[in-house]
Amino acid sequence: MSQTINCEGVKKLLGAWWDGELGGDEAGVVREHLELCPSCRSEAEKLERLHNSIREALKERAGEIRFDVFWAGLEKRIEEKRPWWARLADWANPAFGLGRIGWAISLAVILAIGVLSLPDSYRAWFFGSNRGRTRIESIDAHGFNVAVFREAQTRTTVIWLFSDEESNDEAQEESDSENLTL
Amino acid sequence: MMKLKKNLIRKILLFSLWSVLIAASGVVQAGQADGPKSIQLKIGTILASNEGKNFDPRLSAMKSQLNVFKYQSYQLLKEEAKVVLWKGNAAFEIPGGRSLTVTPQEYRDNRISLKVRLMKGDQSFLDTVVRLRNGGRFLLGGPAHETGVLILSIGASTR
Repeated sequence: MSQTINCEGVKKLLGAWWDGELGGDEAGVVREHLELCPSCRSEAEKLERLHNSIREALKERAGEIRFDVFWAGLEKRIEEKRPWWARLADWANPAFGLGRIGWAISLAVILAIGVLSLPDSYRAWFFGSNRGRTRIESIDAHGFNVAVFREAQTRTTVIWLFSDEESNDEAQEESDSENLTL
Repeated sequence: MMKLKKNLIRKILLFSLWSVLIAASGVVQAGQADGPKSIQLKIGTILASNEGKNFDPRLSAMKSQLNVFKYQSYQLLKEEAKVVLWKGNAAFEIPGGRSLTVTPQEYRDNRISLKVRLMKGDQSFLDTVVRLRNGGRFLLGGPAHETGVLILSIGASTR
């Protein structure tokens, strides 16, 4: 079955025809039309000249490009061993589609639960060494004055009992009355 | 079909790996719960004062910690170490008729919980429970002594 096509249709298809993107039947129709139609043939020739001039310009510029350096870099990247975590991510990616936000959130939740279920000593690796500092869980100075302070730089924890001379409050008066000293 | 099967195997492998990690952490935690049988307590009694400018060379390991205070002179009066069982008491004589009783309470996550009581005669001055890193120490200071104050360095480590 032969197909017919007008000039307008052929001009729309010229670019694809020139690039070899048309199927056999469609390409045959365009070719037949060009043999018969001088106007469309002239368009096709213009297109051919344009393609040729672009190709020549590209060839000229390509001569200035150092492809040897480019290829050397590319080969190096192909040959170099990728880090284990990158290879693991590549391996796991098809299974979980890690790029998808849903999986990323799920994984983050699982990780958080995992970290929280670890013992304190392991959690310290994640949260830093502050967790290892001394903690006063309870303190009773039996009415005497006491101060607790921590010095961050040396991580020193100090419990300080006030002597009689340093204290003027009610508790101290009480202790004075009993003739007690620290 | 083959691709789906491969993905399923990968999912199973990754979840298995995660399960093993969680189980391993549980085993480690259970192992820690057994804990050591005893601990060593080290008490150092330091006299801090503003008389003279002496720094006892035996205290050099604690210099940065003692710099927290503004005294000019530090002298180690006494240093004592005792090994004590869990829930057992260790009593230390402190100059000036005082005594310090330390009772190890608990060991968890590489941290030691100590019950500390400072007394003078029969009178308690301080009862505290302190949780410190295994091998760590804290300072207890303030009681007047001679021309200065006493600073007690209380350290604990598992045996």
